[in-house]
Amino acid sequence: MSDQTKPWLESRLPLAASFRAHVSERQLAHNRPYLAALGTLIVGTLIFLALSGFVLSLYYVAVEGDAYNSIQVIMRGVNDGWLIRGFHATGTTMLFGLVYLSIFRALITGAYRVPGELVWMLKLIFLLMILLIGYLGYALEDGAVSYWSLHQVTLAGAQLSSFPGNISNWFFGGPAGQGTLARLAVMHGLLAFMAFGVLALHYYAKQAIAVAPKRTVSLHPYYTSHHFVAAAVFVLLFAVLVFYAPHLGENPLNAVAANPLVVPTVVTPPWYLLPVSAFSTMFPGAKGGIIGVIAAFAVLFAVPWLDRSPKDASPGLFYKFLVVVLGLDVFALGCTTADGPSLINSILTTVFIGWYFLHFLVLTPLATARESK
Amino acid sequence: MANAAVHAVDDEVEAPAKRDFLKILTVSAGAVALGATAWPFINALNPTAAELAVSNPIIDVGAIAPNTAMRIVWLGQPIYIRKLTPQQIADNEYIVPDTLPDPASYTDRVKPGYESFVVVVGLNTGISCELLGNSPTDPRGPFDGWSCPCDGSVYDPLGRVRGGPARKNLAIPRFTFLSDTQIQFG
Repeated sequence: MSDQTKPWLESRLPLAASFRAHVSERQLAHNRPYLAALGTLIVGTLIFLALSGFVLSLYYVAVEGDAYNSIQVIMRGVNDGWLIRGFHATGTTMLFGLVYLSIFRALITGAYRVPGELVWMLKLIFLLMILLIGYLGYALEDGAVSYWSLHQVTLAGAQLSSFPGNISNWFFGGPAGQGTLARLAVMHGLLAFMAFGVLALHYYAKQAIAVAPKRTVSLHPYYTSHHFVAAAVFVLLFAVLVFYAPHLGENPLNAVAANPLVVPTVVTPPWYLLPVSAFSTMFPGAKGGIIGVIAAFAVLFAVPWLDRSPKDASPGLFYKFLVVVLGLDVFALGCTTADGPSLINSILTTVFIGWYFLHFLVLTPLATARESK
Repeated sequence: MANAAVHAVDDEVEAPAKRDFLKILTVSAGAVALGATAWPFINALNPTAAELAVSNPIIDVGAIAPNTAMRIVWLGQPIYIRKLTPQQIADNEYIVPDTLPDPASYTDRVKPGYESFVVVVGLNTGISCELLGNSPTDPRGPFDGWSCPCDGSVYDPLGRVRGGPARKNLAIPRFTFLSDTQIQFG
C-alpha cells in the first residue's frame, strides 16, 4: 500500500485503528484465570462447526429417507467425510460443554448481578439458540429416533396452531412431511450464523460494563500465550473425542434408518438436549411440554431479580454450594432422562425438576438475602 | 503478587535464546496442527471415488461396424467413436494439412496403432449443434464425414472441418486405448 492509499482507506474504513484498539494495543487485567479463555474457545468452536457444517451441507440431501442415505455416503464415500462428521458431532458436544460451563461460572460467581443482567440474558439467548440448532441438527440425521422425535415435536407444535398464528407450520412446514427436512436444514444454518451475531452482542455488552482494571497487561503476548495453553488442552480433549468417541452421548438407536411404522424403544435426544427433554415431560400433553421448557428458562432469565444480595457483594459460600448442587441436579436430571421411562426414573425426574425450581424460586432469594446481612 | 510485566522482562534477560527457541517451536507446532486440521476439510471438497468412477468410463468399441459411429455421453457431451473404412482412410491419409481451414494431419487425429478409430466430441464448433452422420444413411456432407443441421458446416471422417461457418476441427476428448476393443475416457 502506498503512503497515500493508507490514510485514504483508514479515514473511510478505520480497520487499523479498530485493530489497535481491540487487539494490538488492548490492555487487559493482569490476573487471568484459564476460564477467561471460555469465550475465545466458544467463538473458535462455533467457527469450526460452521466450516465442518459447510462441508457436510455440500453432500447432505434434505429429503426424508434420502437424508439418512446421504449421511451414509458422507461416512463411507466422501474423502475424510467420517472425520468431518466426527468434527461436527464432537464440536457440538464441546460447544455445549463450554456454554454450560460458562453459564455455571456466571451463576457461581454472581456475574448475572447488576450491571451484568443483559450479558447474562444474552448468554441464555445464545444457549437457547444453540439448543434449537442442536435439535435441528439432530432431526436432520433422520435416524430411527430423531424421526420420531421430530414427529412428536411437530405434533406438539400443531397444538399451538390457534396461537399466535401457525408458528409451528411456518417453521416445520406442517406436520413432519416431505418438505420438512429442507426447511430444517436451512434453519439450522441460518440460526448458526445468527448465533455469531448474539456472540458479538454479548461481547459488546460485556465491554460496556467492564470495570477498568488497576493493573493491566497487553493482549499480546500475555493473553494470546495464555489462551494458547487453554486452547491446547481443549484441542487435546477434542481430538480424543473425535477419534475415540465421536458420537458420545448420542442414542445409539439413532444410527439406524428411520422407520415410519416402528417406534424405537427409547426416544432420547443427544446428551446436551436431555435436561430440556426432561422439562418437556414435566406436565402432560403437548402444551404442557412447551410450558415446562418455557418455565425452566423463565427462572433462569429471572435469576438477576431473584438474587436478593446487595450490589457489589460477592456470593457467599452457602450460595456457591447451592449452585454446585444445582449443577449436579441438572446433570442427574439428564441421566434419568437418558435412561428411558421407568417408575424409579419418573420419581427421580420429578424430584430433580422440583429441586431445580426450588433452587431458583426459594433457595436463591433466601440464601442471598441471608448472606448479605 | 509481582507484576507480570516485570517477570517477562526478567525472563528475556535471563535466557533470550531459550525463549526464542520455544517460541519458534510452539508456532511451528501450531502451524503444522492447523495444516493437518485444514487438510480433511479441503480433501472432502474433492470428488468422491464414486463420482470419479463415473467420469472415467470404459467403453467397448469392438462391436462398432466400419463406416458407422457409436454415440455415448461423457461429462454431458456427446462423444462419437467412428470406425473408418479403408476407402475413407485412403481418401484422407495424404491430404496436405495446409490446404485445410484448420490444418491437422491424419496422424494428429488418431491414436498410433489404432488408426481406424476416430474419437471426437460430436458438437459443431461453430454453433454448438449436435452433428449428423453417425449412420451411413445420415446426411454426411460431400466429404463423407459429418454435417451440421443448424448452420450447414461439414466435416470429413477424421472430424476436420471442410466447409461452412465453422472454422475449427472437432475437439478430441481425453482417452486411451486399454486394448484393441476397449477405450477409457478421462
